[in-house]
Amino acid sequence: MQVQRDQQDAQQFWLALLGAVRRASGTTSGAEPSAVTPEFNGRAMVDRVLSELEDHPGRGVLVIDDLHELHSRDALAQLTRLLTNLPPNAHAVLATRRDLRLRLHQLRLAGELAEIRAEDLRFTERETRELLDASGIDLSEAGAALLHQRTEGWAAGLRLAAISLAGHPDPERFVAEFSGSERIVAEYLLAEMLERQPEDVQQVLLRTSLLDRVNGELADLLTGRQGSERILLSLEDANAFVVSLDPERTWFRYHHLFGDLLRLELRRMLPEQVPVLHRRAAEWFVQHGQAADAIRHTQEAGDWPDAARLLADHSFSLTMDGQAQTVRALLRAFPPGADYPELALIRAGRNLARGRLDEAAAYLAVAEAYAETTPPDRQRRLRVAIASLKLSLAARRGHLAGVTEQARFLASPVTGQSDEDIALSNDLRAVALMNLGTVEASLGLSDAERHLREGAVLARKIGRPYLEVRCLVQLGFASKIRPFATVQRRCREAIALAERYGWGAEPMTAPALITLASTMVWTGEFDQAERWLQRAMRALQADTGTDIRLLVHIVNGMLRACRGNHHEALQEFSAAEHLGSQLADSHALAGQVTGWLLAAQARLGMPGEARAAIAALADARVGSGEIQNARAAICLAERDPAGALGALRDVLDGTAPVVGYVTAVEAQLLAGLAYRELGDLRAGNQAAERALALAESDRLVLPFAMTGSRELLEALPRHETAHAALLADILDALRGSAPAVEDQTPPPDAEELSPGELRVLRYLPTNLSRPEIAGELSVSPNTVSTHIRSIYAKLGVRDRSSAVQRARELQLLSADRAH
Amino acid sequence: MRGHLPAPHHGRMDPAPALYTIRINGHLGAMMLSAFPAMSPHHHGAHTVLTGRLDRSALYGVLAEIDALGLDLIEVRQLERDRESPGSGDNCSL
Repeated sequence: MQVQRDQQDAQQFWLALLGAVRRASGTTSGAEPSAVTPEFNGRAMVDRVLSELEDHPGRGVLVIDDLHELHSRDALAQLTRLLTNLPPNAHAVLATRRDLRLRLHQLRLAGELAEIRAEDLRFTERETRELLDASGIDLSEAGAALLHQRTEGWAAGLRLAAISLAGHPDPERFVAEFSGSERIVAEYLLAEMLERQPEDVQQVLLRTSLLDRVNGELADLLTGRQGSERILLSLEDANAFVVSLDPERTWFRYHHLFGDLLRLELRRMLPEQVPVLHRRAAEWFVQHGQAADAIRHTQEAGDWPDAARLLADHSFSLTMDGQAQTVRALLRAFPPGADYPELALIRAGRNLARGRLDEAAAYLAVAEAYAETTPPDRQRRLRVAIASLKLSLAARRGHLAGVTEQARFLASPVTGQSDEDIALSNDLRAVALMNLGTVEASLGLSDAERHLREGAVLARKIGRPYLEVRCLVQLGFASKIRPFATVQRRCREAIALAERYGWGAEPMTAPALITLASTMVWTGEFDQAERWLQRAMRALQADTGTDIRLLVHIVNGMLRACRGNHHEALQEFSAAEHLGSQLADSHALAGQVTGWLLAAQARLGMPGEARAAIAALADARVGSGEIQNARAAICLAERDPAGALGALRDVLDGTAPVVGYVTAVEAQLLAGLAYRELGDLRAGNQAAERALALAESDRLVLPFAMTGSRELLEALPRHETAHAALLADILDALRGSAPAVEDQTPPPDAEELSPGELRVLRYLPTNLSRPEIAGELSVSPNTVSTHIRSIYAKLGVRDRSSAVQRARELQLLSADRAH
Repeated sequence: MRGHLPAPHHGRMDPAPALYTIRINGHLGAMMLSAFPAMSPHHHGAHTVLTGRLDRSALYGVLAEIDALGLDLIEVRQLERDRESPGSGDNCSL
């Protein structure tokens, strides 16, 4: 593969590399899924390339040319990982003009790295002779020696010389004059070569030199003449530093140094033409839907407001096309200080993607004010984009009113009728449906399923697998109220589709992974649940939205509580409550989480704290079934079974509002435990039997595990129950989940952090992502991730916010400790 | 506009511009010289010497250009540091 000039987009680099490997392996078929996502996961991508290489039949050689053009620290770090983990059947050849920041010392030490440097690449005199002979150039032995000496065996120089020498009336004189000149070899030979070309060829070479790639049509446009394609073809045939990029030979590019020199010559000879040519090229790229190139050339022409407008119009589609980093690079190319209101929209999107919600909202306000100053057709387009971002923002904040308002706007018919408008509005509509459904789901609204299904269908129709997977993942997630079998099937379908595109370990798949884990907790498959939850947590390594982290804490808390680890459960539920309080609207499971949290406190011997927490609750929540159940659990912990039965009365007779029927099952079990405590075994058995009857249809295990009802169930005579099979299953699950030793002691003092870990720790309270922290510290993102894992382990925490909290408690963040 | 990675700062502010001479092997012609509009050139034996007042980022920009054009860099030398405010020492440029 060939690295594109000044490649700053890690995803574009890796997609090109993956494509090259697949083509070589012959695994590309028409149905080959594209791996494009707006969120790039470099680690997963390296794993994919590695597995493609492993599957490659026989020996494979991966050649990466012009690697010095790769200007992405992340991509270079990822490439290091690829190169140090190559399967035995694969070899890599890197061609670069300078040494790169690849950490290959291990390979070097192991003798697995061969370096061919400039000295080794020089042609010998004999090779020079052979090249001349092969090019049909008649030159004396002395002339060939002189040429070799003057070019110092530089292969590109020799080839340039050969082009000028071919058909030269007096080759000996050419070499003598060249040899007598002190001018730089490349410049001398290029000037000679150019001078010897007919005028039309010169014009093609000069005027198209400012393109990274050129075809006949574009070249005609820039020269204002016909017939450029023929010229490009014959230049390639003459081996004149022009290479075609496709088997059909329609696109060409110039050898980089050759192109650079031509560009200098163009600027020198036709300076006033340069912006004109960039503008013409930009127009062509706009017409052909190649937005990134169009924006780049508009910038080169110095038309900054136009460039800002183009970027604003296309940033959304570019991001969906997996070119988020290209958008960022284009954004960086604007002159510092000059702020164009068009760009506010993009900056809003960037901040939103990184979870900086307040900044995103501020930029959106700027974008809205700007939109009002634009002509109607453009205003419509901008407002659609603004609405889509507002929808994402509202979704991230769990703010339903905002979501529905924006969604209604997006659903109104499109007035702009260009293909581009329709494509953009389809993209935006699919995203809108996804966000709408996601928020509706988190609030337990039934429209969620319809909107997500519509979104998935639309996404499939417009060829956006990323959006299709996201919608299906959210659909699995939204199916909470369905029978567990349905939920599990939907989640498994979504995960399978995600895996087909290589996104099985991406954050976007996490909601389905967590939902699947959650159903397994409900049905008592604790070991399986643990595995799916681990997978979800791995997929969520990058910090993501509040809503999803909230869910991880809830499911983890449920699992811990079921396994009798009330201390960990309490921590998880507390974290969930804390996150839930950051959402604008309360989430569907809020009441249940509070109830479970209070019960965990009671079971840990802290009924006083639990009672105090109830006293602090808003009145509306106090009478709910979940809180009444918690009261009962507190009474049981205080050895007050009568009080427990009193608390449960409204839940048992169905007058207390409940989140779901699980609350009723729980109430029956708590009542059963209270009756047992009072010595009324018969009433205890009846309550247990009622709980089993309620749990039968979904084969629910969770409430039995959470309330610690094992003895209650074991006491229930088999011949007295109509649910013997379920009873046996539940008891199996409960016995299998017997807690190890309940850990009631608070986490030990943090193990001493290393200086490197302390450096990383200081960045954790900031908004910086892991790669950004790596940038700040000039280390690889892997190093930062290793440090963060180790920090979490040493502080005994699971996520960034609790790490910061714990570090504050231990005063690790104060300046005097931080070096 | 290559070399977008920040130059190492070692905790210091970007120093004031200074006068640099940059020596390159071979004679640069008009085409090559057009890549260095801020430098004044002269030939010295078989070498080309570019002279100009540069701050750090301009210096790295020139070096990146030398690299991109595959030129044979022989020497970079700082002649004197401008001790006054930037822009007041124009009389020193060639």
